[in-house]
Amino acid sequence: MYELNICHLYPDLLNLYGDRGNIIAIKKRCEWRGISANVFNLTLGDTFEPETYDIVFLGGGQDYEQEIIQDDVLNQKGPEIKNAIKNDKVFLCICGGYQLLGNYYKTWDGKEIEFLGALNLWTIGGKKRMIGNIVFECDFLKSPDSDGLVVGFENHSGRTYLGPEVTPLGKVVKGYGNNGEDKHEGAIYKNVYCSYSHGSLLPKNPALTDHLITLALKQKYKDFVSLQKLDDSLEERARTSMISKTVTSG
Amino acid sequence: MNLRLTLTIVVSKIIIKACRIARRGGTTLPGRIARFLCPDILNQIAKNFKTIMVTGTNGKTTTTRIIGKILDENGIGYITNKSGANLVGGIITTFIDAVDIHGKCKVSTALIEIDEAAFKVMSNYLSPDILVVTNFFRDQLDRYGELYTTLKGVKEGIVRSDKTHLILNADDSLCASLGRSTDRKTIYFGFALDAYKGVEESINSDAMFCLYCKQKYEYSNHVYGHLGGFRCTSCGYSRPETDVTCTAVEELTSSSSVITYSAGQESYRAKINLPGLYNIYNALAAIACGTLLGFPPDNTVKALGSFECGFGRMEAIDTQGKTIKLILVKNPTGFNQVLNYLLTEDKTMQLAFIINDRYADGTDISWLWDVDFEKLQGIQDKLENIYTSGLRGEDMAVRLKYAGIYSDRISIVKEYKKLVEQGLSRTPIGHSFYILPTYTAMLDIRKLLKDMFSLKDFWK
Ligand SMILES: [Zn+2]
Repeated sequence: MYELNICHLYPDLLNLYGDRGNIIAIKKRCEWRGISANVFNLTLGDTFEPETYDIVFLGGGQDYEQEIIQDDVLNQKGPEIKNAIKNDKVFLCICGGYQLLGNYYKTWDGKEIEFLGALNLWTIGGKKRMIGNIVFECDFLKSPDSDGLVVGFENHSGRTYLGPEVTPLGKVVKGYGNNGEDKHEGAIYKNVYCSYSHGSLLPKNPALTDHLITLALKQKYKDFVSLQKLDDSLEERARTSMISKTVTSG
Repeated sequence: MNLRLTLTIVVSKIIIKACRIARRGGTTLPGRIARFLCPDILNQIAKNFKTIMVTGTNGKTTTTRIIGKILDENGIGYITNKSGANLVGGIITTFIDAVDIHGKCKVSTALIEIDEAAFKVMSNYLSPDILVVTNFFRDQLDRYGELYTTLKGVKEGIVRSDKTHLILNADDSLCASLGRSTDRKTIYFGFALDAYKGVEESINSDAMFCLYCKQKYEYSNHVYGHLGGFRCTSCGYSRPETDVTCTAVEELTSSSSVITYSAGQESYRAKINLPGLYNIYNALAAIACGTLLGFPPDNTVKALGSFECGFGRMEAIDTQGKTIKLILVKNPTGFNQVLNYLLTEDKTMQLAFIINDRYADGTDISWLWDVDFEKLQGIQDKLENIYTSGLRGEDMAVRLKYAGIYSDRISIVKEYKKLVEQGLSRTPIGHSFYILPTYTAMLDIRKLLKDMFSLKDFWK
């Protein structure tokens, strides 16, 4: 029997906008297929040993909470996080967690905050918040069964820009995305997937969830081929109704 | 005579009438127009009133109503914004509706519920005599920015309100912080250490770390959410001493509770005619208000025992020997409390969730993922049918599926009339049909129920 270990980093601090729904989605979609999924919560002071985990999740927090974890994530867990990324560990990082993997965050009044530097990307703070439903198109999710469209809700004031090694997660169909300028949303680097989309992202976008689970199982089990199909009719109704509502709105 | 004031009042009153004839609620538009015609309108009208304001994330409507009941019990006439019109426009409408064309009114007390994000703006025009703050929880973050921004806004409003007396929740580290470093006279309410044994709600607490120095709080007791006996071992910030204290919860049923509480030197026993722990906090806030106003405690106890629910927060409609129960849901903590309440139901039930994502509901519905629907697994055998509806009924169905609720019991029914008819017809005699809507869904479903079962107008 297959088994996945999911690490939720700072669940007590970075848990804004229902991000824990992503963990629930991964766990449930594993369990419905008879794959056991264990969730480990790691917070301030805990040691991060990447070899224990198959999927690592990092969500977003309010400024206040991001300040609390700053030292721990940079100086305690940082080196191991970077190592794990180098070694193709599967990561999902949302909003603040996404920004945190980059090089730095420059506030709108010019103050520069050093971040992890695990991915070559950076964020510039803006005065305007980019809030609303977002639809973007992911080429790697396109298949005869899937249109590759992902829907979520974004809420950020930081504008993120990607270096040459990093590819966008998707192309914005409606909404702001990384910076409201280049039509890019999120980032992919090795097996690290980043997005500004809360909402939660995964429950309503089962194709993306299954993509991450597949990646993790392939990393762990040489004999693993593919996931069995599930009845996703409720998820599909939620996804398609929000896509059409978002795409046709103002 | 102030011509501009009179003109504004007359025009606004006509608009209020027109809205009511059109049955469109008419709770905020007239106020907005009035402010356009005469920006100073509120200041001019409200200066003749003694104003009690109630704000906070959860429980402001109920707390406002209980205070109203206490005022009734003491024979004090007052005006109040009854239908949850708690933004600046709605509050102006309330005042205009109450005064004559010269801006005068027969009563001199105003009891106003105000949105926590609107209080800062309101404090430019009107400084309350008493400000009751119930609590701070995460709520509709896309509208308010962040929890700490909201808290800061209320704090700034208090700085501007120089004559205000404060009534604050001592068990809420965020709310209690408003009483720090201010010289406003402050009364705190809360639960005594051993009044109720709650459990720590682990990872989704809204305030785990010290507001001042970011150390993790230690708790001597938990009530629910982040409410309890908090203490920061690093900087010393801790739950303040309370003036109105729940000393014991003797009984907690699906319709009421019995508590003992102390206020000043005396101890009292009271039945609170509302279910749920959260309503004990609302009652304590109202008791504190009665104490501050110097009312006889007997009248307060009487008010608590005879209180009946008002618009929306929890409302029961009896029909055909069955009961439709409407309970507003709007944020994770409040929703969890409602689910806890459902767990106390001993009969089978029909259950409907109506989730909208309009501006007043919060356009981001991701908060549904912070609600512990998983706890409904414990009463799956009582949940005969679950309906999801509203603009985001599909998302709600997905949430329930991932909470481990049997998918074959979940149906998405978008049309409200069909929903009510189906739910009611499947409810056995003597059982309840629970409907849990978000704010704007509440307005719509309330209107429908009003037509179907001839309920009274909610703005009266
Ligand atoms: Zn402290």
